Amino acid sequence: MAGAVTLKIELPKIPDIELVALEGLDRLAKHLEIPPEKVGEAKILIAEAIINGFEHGGNDNDRVDVEFTIDPKELVIFVRDYGKGFEPSDIENPDIAKKPGGRNKRGWGLKLMESMSDDFRIESGPAGTKITIKKLLS
Amino acid sequence: MDQEFSLTSELRDMRLVIATSGYVNNVGGGAISTEFGRHFDTGVREVVINLAQSKVVNSIGMSFLLEILEKLHEAGGKLIFTNLDPAVEKMLTIMGIFNLAGKAATVDEALKSF
Repeated sequence: MAGAVTLKIELPKIPDIELVALEGLDRLAKHLEIPPEKVGEAKILIAEAIINGFEHGGNDNDRVDVEFTIDPKELVIFVRDYGKGFEPSDIENPDIAKKPGGRNKRGWGLKLMESMSDDFRIESGPAGTKITIKKLLS
Repeated sequence: MDQEFSLTSELRDMRLVIATSGYVNNVGGGAISTEFGRHFDTGVREVVINLAQSKVVNSIGMSFLLEILEKLHEAGGKLIFTNLDPAVEKMLTIMGIFNLAGKAATVDEALKSF
């Protein structure tokens, strides 16, 4: 079985570009003989992290950098945008009990990344936001 | 990996069954919502969404389903998800969607549970 492999991608801001990263993950997992069902949650994590990057990147920042390193035991995902940053503690924890009737039904990304990952770190400042996610695969 | 979104729908005794294929993003979520709205306006209040062929979804797509849940809730209706990929089921669980919607292994099982 092969060792760890890393994929780095610079994604332009075009619709559904996160699927390129997911395709890359599929190919790396296949190379490492990792069953598809092991990377299902990782795909959601990657998609959410990239979408978050573009949303917080703002209109003037049209790229997100993605890097993931995978071995048969774990996947580490790194996503960076070049927006103005935000204060993670200012983001309200979404509650579905408040969503019906409310106008804003979005805002689930950070909660999903935190809940579905085995380790989640976020660093955000005026030069952009970096998200690091670890997902165990074994 | 073909993730192009598409859907089919059918009515079974005034119960709407929507089956999706591909990535449920904002476009996919919007298409589901539009299809639902078309039938909701004719009085349909029981809905099944079969996600068997949608292994990847995102939270923006799912936010459209919250709108469907809201309309059904207000009208005394019900939504049941079926054929969920384990990762998608976990995502919906974290979002708390099963507090408002049901889940079933198959479409037939869902239709029997209304």
